[in-house]
Amino acid sequence: MEPNPLAPLEHFLPQAWFFILGLFLFLYILLDGFDLGIGILSLTSSDERRRNILMTSLGNVWDANETWLVLMGGSLFGAFPLAYATILNALYIPAVIMVVGLILRAVSFEFRENANNKRVWNLAFGIGSFLAALGQGFAVGTVFEGIKVDGAGHFAGGMWDWLTWHSVLVALTLIQGYVLIGSTYLIYKTTGELQQTHYRTATIAAWTTFIGAVLITISAPIFHEHLRAQLFQPPLFYIFAAIPVLGVLLVFLLLRSLQKRQEVMPLVWTFLLFLMSFVGLGFVIFPNIIPPSVTIYEASASPSAQVFMLILWHS
Amino acid sequence: MTLDSLDTVVLSRWQFALTAIFHMLWPVLTTGMSIYLVVIEGLWLKTKNLAYYHHARFWSKLYILNFGIGVASGLPMAFQFGLNWAPFSEAVGDFFGTVLGFEGTMAFMLEASFLGIMIFGWQRVPPVMHWIATICVAFGANLSTFWILTANSWLQTPAGGVFVEGKFRVQDYFQAIANPFMVKSFAHMFFATLETSLFVIGGISAWYLLQNRLPNFFTKSLKVVLVMALVIAPLQVFVGHLSAEQVYHYQPAKLAAMEALWETVPAGTPADWSVIAFPNEAAQANTLEVKIPGLLSYLLELKPKLDTPILGLKEWAPSDRPHLVGLIYYSFRLMVAIGLYLAALAIATIFVWWRTGFEGDRLRNYKWLWWGWIFAGPLGYLAVEAGWIVRCVGRQPWIVYGQLRTAEAASHLPPQVVLFSLSGLVVLYTIFFFAALFFGSRIIQKGPNVALPVPGLQNAEQLEIRIKLAEHQPDRRPLETQQ
Repeated sequence: MEPNPLAPLEHFLPQAWFFILGLFLFLYILLDGFDLGIGILSLTSSDERRRNILMTSLGNVWDANETWLVLMGGSLFGAFPLAYATILNALYIPAVIMVVGLILRAVSFEFRENANNKRVWNLAFGIGSFLAALGQGFAVGTVFEGIKVDGAGHFAGGMWDWLTWHSVLVALTLIQGYVLIGSTYLIYKTTGELQQTHYRTATIAAWTTFIGAVLITISAPIFHEHLRAQLFQPPLFYIFAAIPVLGVLLVFLLLRSLQKRQEVMPLVWTFLLFLMSFVGLGFVIFPNIIPPSVTIYEASASPSAQVFMLILWHS
Repeated sequence: MTLDSLDTVVLSRWQFALTAIFHMLWPVLTTGMSIYLVVIEGLWLKTKNLAYYHHARFWSKLYILNFGIGVASGLPMAFQFGLNWAPFSEAVGDFFGTVLGFEGTMAFMLEASFLGIMIFGWQRVPPVMHWIATICVAFGANLSTFWILTANSWLQTPAGGVFVEGKFRVQDYFQAIANPFMVKSFAHMFFATLETSLFVIGGISAWYLLQNRLPNFFTKSLKVVLVMALVIAPLQVFVGHLSAEQVYHYQPAKLAAMEALWETVPAGTPADWSVIAFPNEAAQANTLEVKIPGLLSYLLELKPKLDTPILGLKEWAPSDRPHLVGLIYYSFRLMVAIGLYLAALAIATIFVWWRTGFEGDRLRNYKWLWWGWIFAGPLGYLAVEAGWIVRCVGRQPWIVYGQLRTAEAASHLPPQVVLFSLSGLVVLYTIFFFAALFFGSRIIQKGPNVALPVPGLQNAEQLEIRIKLAEHQPDRRPLETQQ
């Protein structure tokens, strides 16, 4: 065989793509997070007028937000075909729940614009948002926990592997997180009685998210050996040690800004909280892409494919 | 059918067929209509005729409804290669996944980001900027068509690399993209979306004309549609012919299924074209057949007698050739018939119009012609779906032609799980389909809102502010906080 001119890139490219995909995923979680959260919040309202206002506040943003997910799916397929295949294969049921939820909310939103009776479509939008968040929560929980694969990296587990008490915990926490970011977004966007309501929902969601996050942080290394190994590696250990401290600090700042009835800061603190959790999760997973054993180097497409995608993507 | 006899591969294929057929309904209209919107908005900018502006606004409403359902139904498409076709995704991800990645990053993003300006920007950006946004949306949508057709054409005629241990390694990207099927297939689909949209717009306009609602207004859209259709519809018949020819050269088994041809027609003899046939796969023959002598030789080689033989289905072992021959055969004929009908309708209309001296008023008496247009409205969709059935069912048993079998490409899922997702989607899609028809026809019933303010007009300024409030709430604080 000819010498491969792309050999030095074999390490750099998968890392670059891991970062790019992480960025897409983060943008998606952040942007669709608040509108999924608002959808879930709309379920808690018995007041049809408030629900209409919540829906209107999403206006033309929801479809732009969902494009990040389409982008993420397409790029994962291109850059790490093995991960795309194995992870989706393992997460069949949660992924279907998520997709069904997303379709339901998207279509309800469109129909609602044209409908006289908005009630049905508002409700469908809320249910869709909840299902989507639930599916995503299970997906994150399962990837975090690890996926059972054979020697070639193909999925080797069962169809219900994703359903564990740990993934349930992650799913519930993620839903709380979405409600939190949705509430803080609404605090920023509204005034008056409506804003007061969301100070309350934000405070409750901040506590429930915090409790969930504490439980996950404590239980993860105790019950999962691969996470333990990853967490207590010398250089990374300091990062992982800093994260809980920083997290507690951010939650404190968030609660204080809610108490002070600030309008913008709750959204900022929530954003930072999301960013920190996400970076932490990234460090736990890296350099794997199918935890606990398949690395980004093993799962990646050929270097030429990754270069080609980068070039065309930037042109 | 009992649960035990369920087959994962069969169910996964059903699911793919369902999601693809349903998804196809919406982007077909938005992709084609975006070009029509570019034309009609351009006409407004050039002629300053307000009717064109209101046309742009009116058709955009249908566009938005379709776009939303298109995005939603596209999500399962983006994920199901991994969900249901994991071995396939892994084997060809290097190329196929990359191309789908482009579709998302370049084309879809372009379309989705400029769509905001196109929908909400009428009063916010100057008309020329708005027109540029519409052009970007149209460009993005058609770039999507290009990448999707590139990916699918590669499945039909894989090129540009080698399969090593069951995995495709790309050697030359440009060769893989410019695979033998790509150019003609893209052209065929590009014209298909445009033609479908033109006849949807034409059909709806004809419906208004028949009811004598805003006849002058809808004569305008019909004229624009007619001028475009006169070029596109006959051209599409020709490009369709070229597409069939490339099937003849590259996928002879598919051609045999399209023609329900069981026995090889040797060189030096005329080949007949059958109009009606009842293919019997068990007997490997057609029970009944009506043929036009020699037509197939003319179609393929423009000669009364063939130079090269046309292979019959019996040349392949049953496991190496497409099944559902009847479906492929009739889908192909349906598509061809619709293509010819639409071209004939466009030509007949211009002929009648010419006879009436190009006057709208006299033209309105030709009721049969308007019924012809209304009838043509949904035909484009049927032709597109039929064409894709021919293309993809006819490719079987291969998922990547000659390289990877569909049966080996499906994820190893318990059939019950696939049945669960399939039935969920069937229920959802059925509801959505009828709801979309309901809301779509409601937009049409309501008709255009000619009271909408026109950008750049002085006397409309007051009205503008009011409309802004009513229309652009999404970007503002909710109503109750606006006092």
